[in-house]
Amino acid sequence: MSVENILLFKLYIIATPVLFLVGIYAIMTTRNIIATIIGIEIMTKGVTLLLASCGYFNGRPEMAQSFIIIMIVVEVVILTISAGLIFNIVKKHDSLDTRNIRNLKG
Amino acid sequence: MSFSLAVLIPLFLVLFFNLPFYRISGKIAVFIASLFCIVQAFSFFLPVNATCPAVQNLVSYFMLDFQCDGISRLMLLTSAIVAFASILVLYAMEDSDRKQFNFVNLILLSLAGMNGLFFVRDIFSVYVFIEVIAATSYILIAINKDKNALEASFKYLVMSSVATVMMLSSIAILFLVAGGTDFVTVSNMYQQYGGNSLVTAAVVLFIVGLFIKGGVMPFHGWLPDSYLAAPAPVSVYLAGMVTKTTGIYTLIRLFYSVFGFNTAIQSILLIFASISIVLGAFAAINQNNFKRMLAYSSISQVGYIVLGFGAGTTFGVAAAIFHLFNHSVFKSLLFVNSAALEKQVNVSDMSEMGGLASKMPVTSTTSVIAFLSTAGIPPLSGFWSKLMIILALWTADLKVYAVIAILASILTMTYFLIMQKKVFFGRLKEGFENVKEAPLAITFVSILLCAITVVVGLLFPFVLNGLINSAVSF
Repeated sequence: MSVENILLFKLYIIATPVLFLVGIYAIMTTRNIIATIIGIEIMTKGVTLLLASCGYFNGRPEMAQSFIIIMIVVEVVILTISAGLIFNIVKKHDSLDTRNIRNLKG
Repeated sequence: MSFSLAVLIPLFLVLFFNLPFYRISGKIAVFIASLFCIVQAFSFFLPVNATCPAVQNLVSYFMLDFQCDGISRLMLLTSAIVAFASILVLYAMEDSDRKQFNFVNLILLSLAGMNGLFFVRDIFSVYVFIEVIAATSYILIAINKDKNALEASFKYLVMSSVATVMMLSSIAILFLVAGGTDFVTVSNMYQQYGGNSLVTAAVVLFIVGLFIKGGVMPFHGWLPDSYLAAPAPVSVYLAGMVTKTTGIYTLIRLFYSVFGFNTAIQSILLIFASISIVLGAFAAINQNNFKRMLAYSSISQVGYIVLGFGAGTTFGVAAAIFHLFNHSVFKSLLFVNSAALEKQVNVSDMSEMGGLASKMPVTSTTSVIAFLSTAGIPPLSGFWSKLMIILALWTADLKVYAVIAILASILTMTYFLIMQKKVFFGRLKEGFENVKEAPLAITFVSILLCAITVVVGLLFPFVLNGLINSAVSF
């Protein structure tokens, strides 16, 4: 790897945990169910970035591409399911507040 | 190869059930799915390479790169048994034809994911199959759309997504260093660069992700809620199979065929396992709800499995796999019993029940046997697997953990005795005079699972030679 590449790589390696922490922070502090899902999405975007950069730096970008496409498909399935859950939760409680869904305790 | 049929058949069955222009009734779907489970269970006894050329061509068309070893075959048997139990419980509990149909479709999809997970030899595919199982279980938990189930399912989704992100980052780092994701490449890379801090961080991230999926103690928040809120057949399936495969089986598989053991990783496993065993058992003692108590007991038993293969020897892996099998059988038996109680008594607090042994003899007897097996009383199957775990720890010179495992057995005994006393023994509480034994499908499943527990315990020498030794070659 050239010096520029190493700098670039460090940038990606730093960006991923930052996105992960932003996502975790969003999940922990928000009171809105949809914002929780957006937090999860931010984390997943961080991982996508990491996968893409890993593929670029070990010289196998085609493999990383196929991984990312599969990942996006799986992610969409999970998002659809969570949308269904949110839809039903909102129908039951008539609000998007996460404080409504704290009846069960561990 | 012929075992990819275990993945393709359920997928094609789901497609066949959902073809447009006609509708299959729920009863027929239940029948076909349970037939598939029976076939899958018997395929365990076939020789490994039995296949016919036509099937071979069909399967090679799908380009699935699968391999089979003893552990995969044992897990295939377990998943078939648990899925069969849960489908029969569904048949007894659910009257609506539509719901039976939906449930059977989802459980077949989940089985496809699970069978894929047993055979696959590539860490990225492991992620894909885990997500297939997880996606179906979110829907299965919330299938009745009641308030608590939706909440539990959403909680599970959030926790499990965080776990997925951890696993994927770990996969990305391993891919970066190894240049590929199949087990052999990653394993070679790990032997070369195992000491590197980035690689170690990746392995630890993977372990934590799988701990969340498997509900090991500090990460267990979602587990009792989902077991409690899910409908009865779903909790049989979740407790018996889903958390054990997505979390614990994958952990065993990764360490057995990819990473191998080293002392640092081993100590992480052992410490979390002991926390899980002890705190899980104490939490179970305090519960008043039948299913919640079983959930905490499940956390405690998962701790035993992790402790077993944390010993780091092949004997430990054999013990862990054997305990996984036993635990799946007797824990699904206990959840079947809880389904019987839910159907016949319709009370979930244990303090409100009492003296049901006279009214529900089969449920009562089978639950006694299941809890004796969980607590490790000879000659039932649970005794042998716990003995193997303790021996593995002792021979690996981890005597402190062996002592913890023995002492925690007493705690297991305690909470199950409290449960038996409150629910089945003693004087019959008022209002339960008209309680009848559970329907035939449920009693049949309880007797079947109970028979497996007893027979495996009694025929242990044969089981050890034929099943466990072939699963994990010493």
